[in-house]
Amino acid sequence: MEEAPIIEMKGIIKIYPDGTKALKGVDFSVKQGEIHGLLGENGAGKTTLMKILSGMLHPTDGKIFVNNNEVRFKTPADALANGIGMVHQHFTLVDVFDGLHNIILGMEGHGLFSKIDVEKAMGKLQKLMDDLNFQVPLDVPVETLPVGVQQRIEILKTLYRDVDVLILDEPTAVLTPIEVKELFDVLKKLKSQGKTIIFISHKLKEVMEITDRVTVLRKGELIGTVNTNETSPKELAKMMVGREVVLRIEKPPKEAETPVLQVQDLWVKGDRSQDAVKGLTFEVKAGEIFGIAGVEGNGQTELIEAISGLRKIEKGKVILNGKNITGRPPKELYDLGVAHIPEDRIHMGLVAEMSVTENSILGLHWRETFRGPIGMLRWNKAKEHAAKIVKDFEVLVPSIEAPVKSLSGGNQQKLIVAREVSKQPEFIIASQPTRGVDVASTEYIRNYLIKLRNENKAVLLVSADLDEVLQLSDRMAIMYEGKFVGIVKPEEVTEEQIGLMMGGIKHES
Amino acid sequence: MKVDIKGFTKPLIESLIAVIIGILIGAIILAFSGYNPVEAYSALFDGALGSKYGWAMTLSAATPIMLTALTFGLGAKTGLFNIGGEGTVYFGAIAALILTNIWGNILMGLLGGIIAGIAWMAIPAFLKVFRGVNEVVSTIMLNWVAYFLALYIIIQKIPNPEDPNKTIAIPLSARFPIIIKGTELSWAFAISVIAALVAYYTLWHTTLGYELRVSGYNERAARYAGINPKKAVIWSFILGGIMSGLAGAIEMMGRPPSYAISQGMANIYGYGFDGIGVSLVGRNHPLGIIFSGIFFGMLKAGATAMQIEAGVPLEMVRVVQGIIVVTVAIPGLLDLLKRVVRK
Repeated sequence: MEEAPIIEMKGIIKIYPDGTKALKGVDFSVKQGEIHGLLGENGAGKTTLMKILSGMLHPTDGKIFVNNNEVRFKTPADALANGIGMVHQHFTLVDVFDGLHNIILGMEGHGLFSKIDVEKAMGKLQKLMDDLNFQVPLDVPVETLPVGVQQRIEILKTLYRDVDVLILDEPTAVLTPIEVKELFDVLKKLKSQGKTIIFISHKLKEVMEITDRVTVLRKGELIGTVNTNETSPKELAKMMVGREVVLRIEKPPKEAETPVLQVQDLWVKGDRSQDAVKGLTFEVKAGEIFGIAGVEGNGQTELIEAISGLRKIEKGKVILNGKNITGRPPKELYDLGVAHIPEDRIHMGLVAEMSVTENSILGLHWRETFRGPIGMLRWNKAKEHAAKIVKDFEVLVPSIEAPVKSLSGGNQQKLIVAREVSKQPEFIIASQPTRGVDVASTEYIRNYLIKLRNENKAVLLVSADLDEVLQLSDRMAIMYEGKFVGIVKPEEVTEEQIGLMMGGIKHES
Repeated sequence: MKVDIKGFTKPLIESLIAVIIGILIGAIILAFSGYNPVEAYSALFDGALGSKYGWAMTLSAATPIMLTALTFGLGAKTGLFNIGGEGTVYFGAIAALILTNIWGNILMGLLGGIIAGIAWMAIPAFLKVFRGVNEVVSTIMLNWVAYFLALYIIIQKIPNPEDPNKTIAIPLSARFPIIIKGTELSWAFAISVIAALVAYYTLWHTTLGYELRVSGYNERAARYAGINPKKAVIWSFILGGIMSGLAGAIEMMGRPPSYAISQGMANIYGYGFDGIGVSLVGRNHPLGIIFSGIFFGMLKAGATAMQIEAGVPLEMVRVVQGIIVVTVAIPGLLDLLKRVVRK
């Protein structure tokens, strides 16, 4: 039985004002009542396509049909009126509002003195929650709620507007494995109620698990739509990256003994002066990768900032090669052989407006090589340096004079890694080194971290990508609410055990 | 020193378009106010550029505002919105008057301007670094403190005993030589151009300038890169202070006929504010500021001719200047126009 599609997008082209062709004529159709996966690497155009469907962006060309009627959305409100709603990757909640007021925001009546009918809204929401078999507190500020709950509020917010088609953009990116499972239960419930769901992801496992059909995009082009039960992760991966790439990481066994970094009873406060790191003790040895896994926001950022001299240490000690470096400024640490690949590449690791050359010397610009008489900066040396690291790391740049904001995310990240490695460090902090980076660059960066380890450097890896930590680490810690739930060897635990630990449940064995 | 030509073309064209739009809107306003815009503008351009004398007046008018523009421009390139140039000019002028009257040479006058500029800018610098006071607020308010403090010093401490409306004057030995006889153009103009070149060189060819620009773009990246953003803020204020301090000093030592501060500070008032406009039109770039400074100098020099020959009051010139600043300060407007044209 061939059902008519509820949504059909034909020949969608989107060219951004800066000339980027995000979509090059994509056809996309979704059937009533299915869970449809939209798969692709970063920059494939998934989010752009869905932002067009939800009225946030306007296509440069192409047609959209809902139930066979051509539509033209000017705003998200137009899409909502046609029963299409989107839950964004970055939530669109007012932090200080409670769940209820976030949900009814914009639907509270538009007269100056019109009353908000809280009871009616509550009744409708309660019914929605009962139907979906979950409960969320609607009377506390959303900023105090865990991310998984905030996401449910986002979903409720969309359902409250009576949508038939729910678009979810990378909904599992910030969730623990347990929360993911709960989310999938909700999605299945919604499907059984006849809702249609579009599920954007780049995680093959999830797409295989939850979807009925999958559409794969690559670099703004449609690669194909397949039935999930007729395909395999391997095939999807091939469609996604265009060649058969299984992330091949070769990691020879290696003995590591000499501690390079020692952290003793470290306490660090977060931005809201809450205790973010609560008495951590660990060491990273020469020739090992020490990984820290955990859901983001459990103190990883604060820990890294404290170790790298960017955040005040309340209590405890940080020792590098036997030297106490507690509270020393970054410049001193770099001179002692520390390199830092920061998690936020565009706001911290790079100066977006500056050129590749200028960025290539960031944090080593005071070195003798680049200094001329009377404080002069020797640009010819800087250019040589930039050209060399760009070449060595195969960073794709239009020219070394181009601003780094014109580089793709993967190449920006490679530039940072290249620069940090060029410092010839003894100890490397790698924080989310492959987040938002394309598959090829990810493979490159991961292999490079292994290479550093093989060269007897100490590597501290922090990543929200569990697979990455499992693949790369010699030893790994799972961080939860400022503490390590446990330190384990990746080969000795199952993914499920780690999942539990990420949720704060101690690993017993 | 290699200059990146390509990077300059786009802002140059945008600034030129803004200037043209400003002139056109100015023309409309002139027409509505009952003046003949063609007559007015030809009087302006002819007065400012039509003769050697005009050119001399243009360049001498550009001399101080290029320096005050550098204060704002250096701030903008390093992440500060420093509008304290105005107050700094007064103290630069006063310091030059006092020091040259003691030692009687140009160098001491320049040094006085520099020291006074640094000293006055140290106040907002310390307020920002140690107390977190936003420099926009502190520099605006300090401009008023500077105004009344300067008035007090002028009237009470350094009045001219022969002419109570003026201060003591720069001694003959400490005056910049005049380039073109009978005009106001002295070698002080060279100081402004050199200052702009030094500013350019410092920002783009020294480690300090590199660190200042990194902090200006992105404080987090600066901290990450081992740069102390507080140090960068202090340096930015110091450099800004030097520029406006010098502006006051060379206006005293290099601008005939008075060589003193006249009543109500009429001959040094407003340069700091003009500098903001000059800097914006010059895209806050030291080399751009040389040209926009000369352009503003031209408007100032031509104003007199416009007044005399076309009967347009001085205030109208200010209106045109204001419109140009606004059109340049809204790059968004240009983007909007582009989009409309494309459709």
